[in-house]
Order: sequence, then C-alpha cells, then structure tokens
Amino acid sequence: MDATANLPAWRVNLATIGALMSRAKNELLRVPGAAIPGVLAPTIFFLGLNGVFGALTQLKGFETGAYESFIVPVSMLQGAGFTGAAAGVNMARDIEQGWLDRLLVSPAPRWVLLAGTVLAASARALIPGAFVFAIALLLGAGWPGVDGLLVTFFMVAAMAAVAACWGSMLALRFKSQSAAPLMQAGMMALILTTTAYAPLALLQGWLEEVARVNPVTQVVEAARQGFVGGVSWAETWPGLLALLGLLLVFGALALREMRRTGA
Amino acid sequence: MASATAISVQGLERAFAEVLAVRGVEIEVGEGEIYGFLGPNGAGKTTTVRMLTTLLLPTGGRATVAGHDVVAEARQVRASIGVALQEAALDPLMTGRELIRLQATLHGLPGAEGRRRADDLLERVDLADAADRRVGTYSGGMQRRLDLAAALVHEPRVLFLDEPTTGLDPVSRKTIWEEVRALNDDGTTVFLTTQYLEEADQLADNVGIIDSGRIVAEGTPASLKAEVGAPHIRLQLEEGSIAEAEEICRRIGPLLPPVDAKTVLVEVEQGAADIPRVVRALDEADIEVGSLELVHPSLDDVFVAKTGYHIKVPTTSSAPANA
Amino acid sequence: MEGHSLPRSEVVGGAKGALHLRANARVVRALGLRSIRQTFRRPQLMAPIVVFPTILLAIQTGGAGSAVELPGFPPVQSFLQFMLAGAMMQSLMLAGNSGGIALAVDIEMGFTDRLFAAPISRYAIVLGRLAGTAALGLFASLWFFAIGLVFGAEIAGGVPGALLSIALVTVTAAAVGGIGAAIALRTGSASVVQGLFPLVLVVLFLSSAFFPVGLMIEPAKTIAEYNPFSFIVEGVREPIVSGVDATETAEALLAIAGIVVIGLGLSARALRHRLRVG
Repeated sequence: MDATANLPAWRVNLATIGALMSRAKNELLRVPGAAIPGVLAPTIFFLGLNGVFGALTQLKGFETGAYESFIVPVSMLQGAGFTGAAAGVNMARDIEQGWLDRLLVSPAPRWVLLAGTVLAASARALIPGAFVFAIALLLGAGWPGVDGLLVTFFMVAAMAAVAACWGSMLALRFKSQSAAPLMQAGMMALILTTTAYAPLALLQGWLEEVARVNPVTQVVEAARQGFVGGVSWAETWPGLLALLGLLLVFGALALREMRRTGA
Repeated sequence: MASATAISVQGLERAFAEVLAVRGVEIEVGEGEIYGFLGPNGAGKTTTVRMLTTLLLPTGGRATVAGHDVVAEARQVRASIGVALQEAALDPLMTGRELIRLQATLHGLPGAEGRRRADDLLERVDLADAADRRVGTYSGGMQRRLDLAAALVHEPRVLFLDEPTTGLDPVSRKTIWEEVRALNDDGTTVFLTTQYLEEADQLADNVGIIDSGRIVAEGTPASLKAEVGAPHIRLQLEEGSIAEAEEICRRIGPLLPPVDAKTVLVEVEQGAADIPRVVRALDEADIEVGSLELVHPSLDDVFVAKTGYHIKVPTTSSAPANA
Repeated sequence: MEGHSLPRSEVVGGAKGALHLRANARVVRALGLRSIRQTFRRPQLMAPIVVFPTILLAIQTGGAGSAVELPGFPPVQSFLQFMLAGAMMQSLMLAGNSGGIALAVDIEMGFTDRLFAAPISRYAIVLGRLAGTAALGLFASLWFFAIGLVFGAEIAGGVPGALLSIALVTVTAAAVGGIGAAIALRTGSASVVQGLFPLVLVVLFLSSAFFPVGLMIEPAKTIAEYNPFSFIVEGVREPIVSGVDATETAEALLAIAGIVVIGLGLSARALRHRLRVG
C-alpha cells in the first residue's frame, strides 16, 4: 500500500519540508541556550572588528566614515555562514546517530530532505542577523532603509542556504562531526576573502585578486549598499546572481553526496 | 500462507574495499511469512538488510522487495516497506507523538490521517501515556516500541526488523515478540534479523542462517533441527577433569565443540536413556559432575554443525536508555 | 652524606626533599611527554590552533594592510610584520584552551582519578599538562616566524630578538594553559571549556594583538590599554618590528607573571576542590 499515491507529489513534498523545518526548530526551543553560540560568534566579530579596525575609514576610498555601517553586513553574513555550517554539523550528528537512515528509507525524494535542512538554516540565520543589526544600530550604524534592510536580510538567508549546502555536503562525505572545523573554516574563508574589511581598492596583494573573483564579494556589496548609500538594482543583481550560482553549485554537490550515500 | 514472493534475493553481494561482507546470498520470502535471519556479530545480517532497504547499494546480484528492484525502483521499495534498524534512530528532542507524525508526513499521509494513525499506534505499542514526553526520557524498551510504531505508520507490506530486541530485558523482548506475531497475523511480511536463537525459533516460519556473508542453512526451525539429529548431554565439570571426561564420553557418543573450558557436550542417540550410562562411567572414574542437562537440538546446534562453532549470544541489559 | 655537619634529621629531611623533587620532576616529564604526544598525534585537533590564526592572518593582512598608511601607525616594514605577534598570541590562547579541553577529557574519562590515586604530587599532574601547551606555543611561534620570513617580513631584532619572542610566547602559552587547566579542574567538563573559545576572541580583540592601541576605537581602546595581554603582545612584537627593548620585555614578563600567579592560584584552588568533592 503506497500512501503517497493519495496526495499530489508537490503537496507531500511541501509537507515533508515543513515537517523537517519544524523538527529543526526544536534545538532552538528545547535546548536551553542553543541559540547563543550562533549569535555570540558574529556579534563578537562585529564588535571586535569595529573596535580594532574602525580607524580604517580615515583612509581615502571608504564610502562611509562609520566602520560599523561598513562591517555590519559582513558580520550578518558571517552569522549566516556559522548557522549554515551548524546545520551541517547537525546533519553529521544525525548520520552518526542513525537518524538520517530513517529519512533515507522513506519515499521522500533526496532533494526534499536536503531542502528541509537548507531552508531551516535560512530561517534560523535571521536570528543572529537581527541581533547583530540591532547592536550595530545602537552603536551608530546608519539606517539602511526598508529596501536596504530587505536586500540585506535576503542575502543573509540565501547565504545561510549556501552554507547549509556546503555543511551538508561535508557531513554526507565524511559522516562525522569531526568535519565541523572544515565546515566553519570554509565559510569563514569564503566570506572574509572579499571586500569584508575594506573596499577593493584598499585591499592588499593576494586578497585583492581573490576578492575580485570571489562571487561572495558581490553578495557583500549588495548586502552593504543600504548601509553606505542607496539601494539600486545595478548593485543588487550581481549579488543575486552570485548567490544563485553558489546555491546551484553547492546544492548540486550536496545532493550528489546524498544520492551517493550507500554507494 | 500466500504463495506470492515478498522478498527475492539472488546472488546478492556487497564488498567494502577488499572485504566481501555479503557473498552471494539467495533468499525467497513468501508474502505473509516471518523470515528469521540468524547469525553472529559480523556475519553480514545488517549489511544484507541495508541493501534490501535501499540504504546500501549491492556490488553484485539483485534483489526485489514487494515486487520492486532495490536499485532500479528504490523509491517504490521505500514506499512499501517499514524499517526498524539496529540502532533505534530516534530524535531525543522530539516527543513520541511528533516522531510518529513526522513519519506519517514522510510517507505522504494527510495531516488528519497521520494524527489518527499516530494515536492508534501509540495506543497499540502501549506508549499513549508517554506520547507527549520527549523521546530522550524513554527507556530502551520504550524507544524500541516507538521505533516499531514509526515503522508501521504507513501500513507497510514488508517490515524489516534489524535485531529488534538486542539489549532489551526479557519482559520488553516478549512484548516485541507479541507485537510481531500480531502484525504477521494481519498479513505483514516480516524480515527479522537476530542473534538470539530463541527468537528465531519462536517467531520465524523460515530461518536463514548466515555466517561470514554466506547462507549456511535455510529451512523451517523444525526441519533444520531435525537435520542435526540427536540430542546431547551438557556436563559441567572441574577444569582438571575435562580431558579424562572427554575420553570417557567419546566411548558413549560423538563429542560436540565445547562452549567453555568446564563443559563437555556429548551426543546421545537414545536421549534420556543414555544419561545413566554417562553418569555411571564418570562415577567409576571418580569424576565429579557439577551439573548435567539433556539438551535437545537447537538452532545453535544447527549453526555448530554448519560452521564448527557456537553463536555467542550477547548479554541483555535492563537499564533504561537514559539512566 | 658522610661528614655532613647538619643534624641527622635535617640531613635526612634534605635528602628526602631532593628525592621528592627528583620524583616530581620525573612525573612532570612523563606527563609532559604524554601531553605533547597527545597534542601532536592528533592533527585534526592541532590544525585549528594553527590553521585558523593563519587564515585570519592572511585575510587581515590583505584586508586591513593599508592601515600602515594611517597617521599614527607605528613605523613598521609591513602590516604582516606588525601582525605576526598577534597571530602567535591567538595561537597560544587557542592552545591554552585546547590544553584545558584535554585535561577536562582526562577528567571525564577517569584518567585523572588514576593519577590522583598514584603516589605523585597533585601539582605535577597539572604541570605535566602545561608542558603540552607550552610545546604548542613553541610550535606556533616557530610556524608564524616561518610564515613571516617566507612572505617577506623582516625580524628587526635578528636571531636574539626572534629567540626572545619565541620564549615569551612559549611561557605565555603555559601561563594561559594554567587558566584553562583551572577551568577544567573546576568544571570537569570539556564542553564548558570548549564553550569559552569566544572569550579568547574577545580578549584578543580588546588588546593590541591586531591593531595599535592608539588607533583603536573606544571603548576597545581603553580596555586594550590596560589589558595585560597587550603588554605581552608588545613584548613579543617589539623584537620583530624594531629590536629588543628592555622596558617592553620587562612589562611583558610582569604581565606573564601576573597571569601565572592567577593561573596557578586558580588551578590550586580548583585542584583542592576536585580532590575534596571527587
């Protein structure tokens, strides 16, 4: 008796994704303090980088005199990176404890199982993002406008999805939580080898060249625009394209690993 | 018993690098049957089950479950089977009810139907009172019952149970056995792997014995035991007198491989009638017998006959999972 | 002992004391070797201690390197030269945290109980653990000097300067390890010690590890001015960027001594607590 024959496939898939996202929120709601590390790390980085490198805005080439405005989108994206990587660590734990087998043995398509993890990470990344944003406002960061805010938070959610695909891929490849440092370090490197610290013209040596080709630079610039000036489509679409490309690549790799589980 | 085939395995193989964990396994399980898959640790039971439940790709041979090929039609297989694996794969942060409902969603049951099934199943496995507690607070027995309930939410045609009672106390084990029988009475085919001889003996219509990746014997428990033949006497003796006792017993009947250093096992064609002979012979040699037991053939004897050694049965645990 | 002029009891006491010292030294050596072996045999644990600061060094050098053009930035050959000390600092603090985690794991696994039950000094147990942390600090300093030289940084103080910096980093690693050990002994939990990792970042950001204090933004600037780790960073940095300076070295040693006293004090208390409650 195939129960899935009763409902259209799209409804079943949607319900499954919803159920998996609902399960993911249990860690936040049922484990005291579970949200703290994910919020603490980007906040510390924001406050630290701002306190340490804030004088850089005195250099010619900075679009703003307020370093907190310059760096807050980076910290929000870092939060997204940490959250996505944490989703990978959770998947590794699920693999170690046999939970993933329960999902793999069900008739749910592999992409649906992955989508549940990825979308949960996207939603969860809004928490550290909002926290860092609030702290930045308190410290005097400029208000990005509603359009700027929407663009930034969209970038944050999408970056978390990219990070979750990366983390899931590593989790399925190594089947162990010991891959956690690789998940975290990979995202950290991707986000910081951009115009995170300074505009492109002020970057030095190898970092300038890497930032030029790193697609996440476009994401940083798109997320930053409201904080340092106005929002325009010309500044936004490269970031969207970059995210789409990253999602396609990392998503495909993660899906491939999920399909190969058991090979 | 219906004659259609629920599970068909032909020449199934699985290699891990240089190691062949499953070597050319052939099994036919009829619909409505309970098939016991018996073997020691590392024999290849779990590997076989993982291939049949589409969690592992075979490296040779083929298998069909509920009429679908496990490789080419994996999705259809998953829709038709229920699985309770060796490690009860449960989320400690979820409640029992949430877990069953998630399982219902994974199998495409509409919300209301999923809720109704969850309630029925929790009642059936006697977890209704604990349904809204977190799984992390359940004992080992409760977790196994929940795992079983989750495997049944979509009323599967074929149910795979991978060592469902390992680590459980005798009472919990009995509860699981009763549930398995009830399911089978409802028409579900059950593929049960176990290390426990008694479990296979009690539950299975047919038994396949696997060792080192190969099926070494297959048949009904009765026919397998009849193959082995005569009962044997199990003698518990002092360590220093074993050699002499073996010499004496050899004159009465063939010796079987011992289970430990203080035991002698001797086959006796006449059964109970041979006991006085053995006792007299040992008494005349001044050998003190600690205990004596007449043992009828068991599946372990079948295993010994086929492999030359005993299945080592693990100790059970009665402690709750989160003590 | 023949012909010695001291009373016999004192002679015997003195001999006993020397024996104890030798025995403890053997214990510290044995546990120290174990700690060092443990550290270097698990690259997946060691890597973050060295790899993470290296990545950050590369990124910060590239990202904030133009800071050397800021008015008020100390005269340095390059931003990399300036940052080397900060990277070493980061590494040694992660090493201290890691040593604490290792001790906490020993406690959780019951290994320390085995040591407590042995006829050895309790403090030797902690000192042995610190040896591993110090070895990591030594490795980190050598690693970053190598990185610096490969990428063109000059060591203004030459070999003596480099040796001084290496010595300061190694001793600081042990000192920080003492604090990590104290937390491990008090809590007995590896996950608690691991959870203190963000604190490492906070301490570093609020010091002169990554930027001259004079150019930092308040309130980070004021905190960094009084942060003892700033004095240690400057003590490590000075031989690299301009040469050995007695004042900077003395201030660094004083700060290290302060941390050692705090670490030892906390460790001793935590040890007594653990022995009392089991």
